[in-house]
Amino acid sequence: MTAGGQAPAGRAPAVEAQLAGPGLPAGRGARLALTALRGSRRFGGPVAAVAVGIALVLLLQGNGFTSTLILDMLVYAIAAMSLDFLGGYAGLISLGQAGFLGVGAYGVAIAEVHFFSPWAAVGIGLGAALVLGLALGIVAVRVRGVSFVIITLAMGQVLWGLAFQWVGLSEGDNGIPLTILPSIGPFDLNDPLTLRMTVLAVFAVVALLLVTFVHSPFGLSLRGVRSNETRLAALGYRTGLHLYLAWVIAVFFTGVAGVLYIFVNQLISPATMAFSQDGLLVIMVVLGGLRSIWGPALGAVVIVLFQQELSIYLERWQTVMGLTLIAVVLFSPGGLWGLVRAAGRRRDALITRLEARPGKRDGP
Amino acid sequence: MQQFIAQTLNGLTLAGIIFLVSSGFTLVFGVMRVTNLSHGAVYLLGGYIGYSVITATHNFLAGLAAAALGMGLFGLLLERTLITWLKGNEMSELLATLGLIYVIDDISLAIWGGSPLTINLPGVLGGSSTLPISGIVYPNDRIFILAVSIVIALGLYYLLRRTRIGAIIRAGVDDREMVSALGINVRRVFSLVFTLGALLAGFAGVLGGTVLGVYTGGDSDILLFALAVVIIGGLGSFEGAIVGSLIIGLIETYGTAYFPAVAYSILFIPVIVILLVKPEGLLGKVNR
Repeated sequence: MTAGGQAPAGRAPAVEAQLAGPGLPAGRGARLALTALRGSRRFGGPVAAVAVGIALVLLLQGNGFTSTLILDMLVYAIAAMSLDFLGGYAGLISLGQAGFLGVGAYGVAIAEVHFFSPWAAVGIGLGAALVLGLALGIVAVRVRGVSFVIITLAMGQVLWGLAFQWVGLSEGDNGIPLTILPSIGPFDLNDPLTLRMTVLAVFAVVALLLVTFVHSPFGLSLRGVRSNETRLAALGYRTGLHLYLAWVIAVFFTGVAGVLYIFVNQLISPATMAFSQDGLLVIMVVLGGLRSIWGPALGAVVIVLFQQELSIYLERWQTVMGLTLIAVVLFSPGGLWGLVRAAGRRRDALITRLEARPGKRDGP
Repeated sequence: MQQFIAQTLNGLTLAGIIFLVSSGFTLVFGVMRVTNLSHGAVYLLGGYIGYSVITATHNFLAGLAAAALGMGLFGLLLERTLITWLKGNEMSELLATLGLIYVIDDISLAIWGGSPLTINLPGVLGGSSTLPISGIVYPNDRIFILAVSIVIALGLYYLLRRTRIGAIIRAGVDDREMVSALGINVRRVFSLVFTLGALLAGFAGVLGGTVLGVYTGGDSDILLFALAVVIIGGLGSFEGAIVGSLIIGLIETYGTAYFPAVAYSILFIPVIVILLVKPEGLLGKVNR
């Protein structure tokens, strides 16, 4: 592919025959390839998304370990995608995100301990994440870059500290179990299958919302703030307000992930909010690929696999994970999704080259 | 009252350990703009190495020296490889050192296991003595740590304020380009500062191991103290590290003694206040 691509278009027929592959008439082979490539450019994304969706629905039918694994991936994928929205697009990488996941989960658990109904508990969990996001955002978006990382780390640790030390509220290190999940009519989250499909649906909704935000004028202005805030401010944008909104969105969706987390695990303890978990979320985003909503979801899949599967065979999986992050930072800053994008770019380049070749009948 | 005095002394001891860690962190940031998140892991690794050497040789000073020099060497190696390869990209450096935390912690866990270890000071330093006037019986190791931290702080102050190297480092904090334009080998200054920071962290790891213990998770605890310190004092400010360490050390100790439910969290109240009122920190000059 690459060797053929380097040949200037419209040379000797022998070269063209080589390009089209052995045993195929030159013109027809190239046309077939072109049609296939164009098709993949046009339908590849949606087809892959539908295929993954169907596969997930099928895999989640079972009660086994696979379902548990996938639910874990989906919950962390929501948190990682939210973090990427803030970190990748707005340029504010938060190292306290596990704390906000904990807020959503603890909100539900503590409310139920205090005899609120399960639905009210969900409202309290989400409300806590939203209010905290609104309040802490005032402090957080005052700083940028490295300082922002440090500040969010501090916030995450305050939340962890409360969960760990405020035993009267949080039951301390033991955590709080959740026994009853919400239900309304036939829709009963206590039913494992309903719960699994709900998690999948929430994941899809959050992902689509984030993709919509990213491609909206709001998302574009966020990217503008990231690349040159001064210039955008000079153009009359209220950059602080944009970042504040992005922050609140990211914190709230992470709280959503937290609510799902306690539904799936039926227990929340401070360990879920520890510094290593904050780091793990950032690793998911960077490994999957900053500035691509789907990349961090992929990162969540890989890291959950590391945790649950690799740890069975390899005791030192954390070393492997740390080295993987360093390798990604050094050699592939775009992460896994960067590789997917690079493949897409190569395909587009190939299409352009094939289109430029003379002798084909379907060109202009 | 006696308890309050004892707690104040405890807070000052903790401040001493935090200062040793945060001064290195803040100097590295000030001169190189590198946020070394693995600084806490270096502290912990120093503690572990010190523990092993002390157990093997029964010599506290040998353990202290091994940890400090070993971590200094590690810092030099880190600066010459990973940090250099990343060519000054602040966020990449931060993320790579985040990955390094997992590697160092995991390897430490493999070698030294998960149970907390304690380093004991030899001879009279392991005992207690009655303080004059107040009549408080106070452990000698804490007094020793406090004294050592003050000596090192004075030494660093002398280095930074009274020597040529120190002048170059301070100039580097203020304006890195200008320093290199004056024909000074900035690369060498970077290596020196990074090595010095890691050396101090390893040294602090052994001292901290005596009163705080050497334990899994000790690295993130001390890293967070250091981060709180540099926000309060100002990123890159040596004097700020002293002031910040005192504030954090005392608040943490008083908090644990008097408000145990929120001890860890009230630590960050000054951090938030500083951010709202003076985002560059009490004594900070570095623009962020």
